[in-house]
Amino acid sequence: MGTRILSVEDDERIRTAVKLALEDEGWTVDEAGSGEEAIDLFHRSAPDVVLIDIMLPGIDGFELCRTLRRHSDVPIVMVTARNDTHDVVAGLEAGADDYLTKPFAPKELSARIRALLRRIRPISPGHAKLVFGDLEIVPDEGKVTRGGSELHLTKTEFRLLCELAQNPGRVFSRESLLDKVWGYDYFGDGRLVDVHVRRLRTKVEADPANPRHVVTVRGLGYRLQS
Amino acid sequence: MTEQNLAGQAAVGQAAAGPVDATAEIPAAVGPWRRSWNVIRHVQMRRFALRTRVLLMFGFGALFLSAFLAAAAHSFTRNNVVNQRDRTGVEAAYRDAQVAQNELGGNASSAEAAVERLRSLGVQRFVINYRGTWSASSAKFTSDVIPPELQQRAITESTPSRMISYVDGDPWLIVGVPLTVADATYFEFVPMSDVQDTLSSVLRSLVFAGIITTIGGAMLGVFAASRAVRPLGDAAQAAKAIAGGRLDTRLEPTDDPDLRVLANSFNDMAAALQTRVERDARFASDVSHELRSPLMTLAASIEVMKARRDELPERAQAALDLLVADVARFQGLVEDLLEISRFDAGAIRLNLEDLLVAEFVRQAVAVSSMPDTPVDVSERAERVVIRGDRRRLARVVANLIDNARLHGGGDAVVTVVEPEGEGEPLGHVWITVEDHGPGVPTEERELVFERFARGAVAGRRSTSDGAGLGLSLVDEHVRSHGGRVFVEDRLDGEPGARFVLELPADEVGV
Repeated sequence: MGTRILSVEDDERIRTAVKLALEDEGWTVDEAGSGEEAIDLFHRSAPDVVLIDIMLPGIDGFELCRTLRRHSDVPIVMVTARNDTHDVVAGLEAGADDYLTKPFAPKELSARIRALLRRIRPISPGHAKLVFGDLEIVPDEGKVTRGGSELHLTKTEFRLLCELAQNPGRVFSRESLLDKVWGYDYFGDGRLVDVHVRRLRTKVEADPANPRHVVTVRGLGYRLQS
Repeated sequence: MTEQNLAGQAAVGQAAAGPVDATAEIPAAVGPWRRSWNVIRHVQMRRFALRTRVLLMFGFGALFLSAFLAAAAHSFTRNNVVNQRDRTGVEAAYRDAQVAQNELGGNASSAEAAVERLRSLGVQRFVINYRGTWSASSAKFTSDVIPPELQQRAITESTPSRMISYVDGDPWLIVGVPLTVADATYFEFVPMSDVQDTLSSVLRSLVFAGIITTIGGAMLGVFAASRAVRPLGDAAQAAKAIAGGRLDTRLEPTDDPDLRVLANSFNDMAAALQTRVERDARFASDVSHELRSPLMTLAASIEVMKARRDELPERAQAALDLLVADVARFQGLVEDLLEISRFDAGAIRLNLEDLLVAEFVRQAVAVSSMPDTPVDVSERAERVVIRGDRRRLARVVANLIDNARLHGGGDAVVTVVEPEGEGEPLGHVWITVEDHGPGVPTEERELVFERFARGAVAGRRSTSDGAGLGLSLVDEHVRSHGGRVFVEDRLDGEPGARFVLELPADEVGV
């Protein structure tokens, strides 16, 4: 079986139509009509990607996202009915890797899933281990440690960190990070980068309010330093 | 000049009659004056601003009040002072008359002895008529200065009388006392000029005080008017703010019962307006959100069918193509409606960033419905930066290209140029979209940017696609970026429209 997608959506017609369209794209789709059902199914089928509608009865999309995040780094795509800052940022803060606004084209969703599942770019040989002060990154093993203890990053956070680590000290604009990590064109949403950087900092920084490693360069973007 | 009969006979110390009436100067003729005031009120006052009216009312009020008080005070003072002098003068005259009577009592041949006697007593100004012969104490005060009426009354009618008369311009109280000895009358002159002086200085003080009061009243009027008008100014300002879109503007609550009515009803009105506007905006927003779910199903289902288009019979293919096109249009319309409702709710938050305009336009065209549209950028415009919301401005470009595709003959040219001439500082950049359609007639050039522009405009321009919200959204977006959009004829004279987006811009250093 190919890549499994868990689609969580309470509207049955939408769920069915999306399943049909995604199956056409070659994915295997499991369906859940509620958050509770989704959690149950998640443990049984071990999906590669989870698609969550924010407006769910019972456990809502944000809560489901947080619950899944507690024991998994699976890529999560949020589906919002509105692209207001509040919903988008709240979804990303809850742990989503990307978001789409209804109605989206299933082809667009497939593109997003493919981007999320992309493997990280191979790091030049001889750099199996990257060290930034107390931060150590082993890209091939997907491992990051700070002060010797291992950090749990999601796949997207890890890819973001590795992108920045490819060129230590260089400033990466939001657009280039959107392109490299999320596979977005010129019109990607900069909030994706900002929220992920914020989440990354809570893990890799000793003091997230005063970041030493992932530094904001005002008006330009972000930079990784020791 | 007033005259009054003395009530008593020649008894010494007899109190004189009532005070000399000096109040006749105040005119009783208030009637015509009030009438003219009413005319002023009704004809003139309406022409003045409220502020001026209050000021004038206070000023005039203070003037009349002070004039009235001054007149009353003056008359009161005058009565008091004149009365006093009158009484002492009359008492002295009776006392002196008694002396003269005693002297003349021995059937004297002339009044000389009496004159001498009075002189020796220090009485200076008197005249005695004794058996028709006048004897004066001095050359100045003779029988000539005694008014004939007084002589008539005192001598002929033997009635004690007094009168104020002027001698060489000075006022004197002349008291005439008929003596009980045969055919003699005694006249004494009591000086009144110091009384006059006192009264003039009192009058001067009162006039001065009246002027001060009037000025004070007018100033109070200015103050009161500005206080009275201030709530109106506040209300006007609040109304302006509400009209400008700040619907949560309210008047400050006040303790003043009169103003509270105004403030409360104003605030109620503003709240009702806000509720209604917000409800309308929320309705449009809710509708668009509700439409998204069925649209989602449609979009996904259509994609499944599109993947199998070749398996469908020809007629089904045609139907599918229609479905695909109109679902896309529907989707666009819902997005536009949602965006417009955000504008109406004032909920647009621009995500501003610096954009290289040439790069931005190329990217925006590349993701539009006609990605192959050529983009010409002038040499100078290559270095121009705009500050804008990337995705919203891309929407603007996409909408203009859609417009060219639907109404402009299906092909377009996009240019990015600076409107300023060479060497001039650059403040704006023009992004133009030229098409080969029928163009937009002059009288419809503003209408095309209206929401759901219909009628003649849409009837001629559209085939199946209505004008919709696309261009009105362009207008809203561009204005929220501090720019403008307009449409004109193609520059090369060929038929077609040229839409111009003007945005504030800066040139980056080379």
